[in-house]
Amino acid sequence: MTHWIILLATEAVEEGGGLFDLDATLPLMGVQFLILVIVLNAIFYKPLGKAIDDRTEFVRSQLLSARERREKTEAVARQYEQELVDVRREAQDIVATAQAEAQKMISEQTQQAQQEVQAEREKAAQEIATQKAEAFSNLEGQVNTLSRQILEKLLGPELVK
Amino acid sequence: MEVLDSLFGLSSFPLAELEVGKHFYWEIGNYKLHGQVFMASWLVIAILIVASLLATRNIQQVPSGMQNFMEYVLDFLRGVAKDQIGEKEYRQWVPFVGTLFLFIFVSNWSGALVPWGLIEIPDSELAAPTNDINTTVALALLTSIAYFFAGLRKKGLGYFAGYAEPTPIMVPFKIIEDFTKPLSLSFRLFGNILADELVVAVLVLLVPLFVPLPLMVLGLFLSAIQALIFATLAASYIGEALEEHGHEE
Repeated sequence: MTHWIILLATEAVEEGGGLFDLDATLPLMGVQFLILVIVLNAIFYKPLGKAIDDRTEFVRSQLLSARERREKTEAVARQYEQELVDVRREAQDIVATAQAEAQKMISEQTQQAQQEVQAEREKAAQEIATQKAEAFSNLEGQVNTLSRQILEKLLGPELVK
Repeated sequence: MEVLDSLFGLSSFPLAELEVGKHFYWEIGNYKLHGQVFMASWLVIAILIVASLLATRNIQQVPSGMQNFMEYVLDFLRGVAKDQIGEKEYRQWVPFVGTLFLFIFVSNWSGALVPWGLIEIPDSELAAPTNDINTTVALALLTSIAYFFAGLRKKGLGYFAGYAEPTPIMVPFKIIEDFTKPLSLSFRLFGNILADELVVAVLVLLVPLFVPLPLMVLGLFLSAIQALIFATLAASYIGEALEEHGHEE
């Protein structure tokens, strides 16, 4: 079969054509190809390449800004958490001081009340004592007069002096 | 000889015929052109331009349909150029390398997928533009010019000093390489595509139905590989020319 193809080829060459028939097709094909390169560059490579590059750039910038935003959000969240912790601690402090103050006030007032009660009681005891003394002195006077009267009655008024 | 005779008997079979090396000549002044090659290449160019226009008619941020497909293609072409030329300088070579791939790929596939045989032209038949030696040599020479241009533009005449790297013994080999590069590029492509079409044609000649199909599928695969090889090699030659001295392999 190869024999036959070679035969055909050589036959064709004899007719003035042939497989290796180089002629003006070559340079014209080259020029045509160069024009195709230029045309395709204008209508294919440039616009589509630009589209691809723009998209890549867009995606990259979006990604970057998204990352930035996420970092910002995280920072804000962290800050809030920090603030929350601070505020909670502050609240605890306030509660503790309030409790302490209340405790102090309670103990002070209790003490004061006790003191007052003490003072009152002392005062009352004193009053009792003075009244007692008064009553005793009264009683003594009365006892004196009574005893004088008794004496007068028994001995007569002249003897009593 | 009997076998040969019987084969010639077969070739007169009306279902298929085989034509090799016959051209439909156009004459411009004293110059002869292969008309069938140009007609086929115009269809290829038209396909590429229409696909590009469809893709870029209404560019959107979220691609769909044709734009999506062509962006995938462009990404692939950029990948080929980037792998061979390097991140730094590949961008300006994407159009050249990419068009090489697209033109050869669509040409090769048109040879298998477009029913060229339905269009009758005198003295010849339409086929893939890449099965004409003129096309492949033109592309290969353009590749040579491209890598010389790349090297000279970047390093000036110092580019040729790179021929003596790493030792002056390399000079003759590098010079020979400059000739073998376009030769191997053009003949590889030409030979593969022509052989593929011949094999399919011969098989169709012998068994017209179904049997050639697996081979045609293989042909499609090979055509795609050839396009990729051509574009990759072109890119690698350009990349080699752009390489700094002392970094050569």
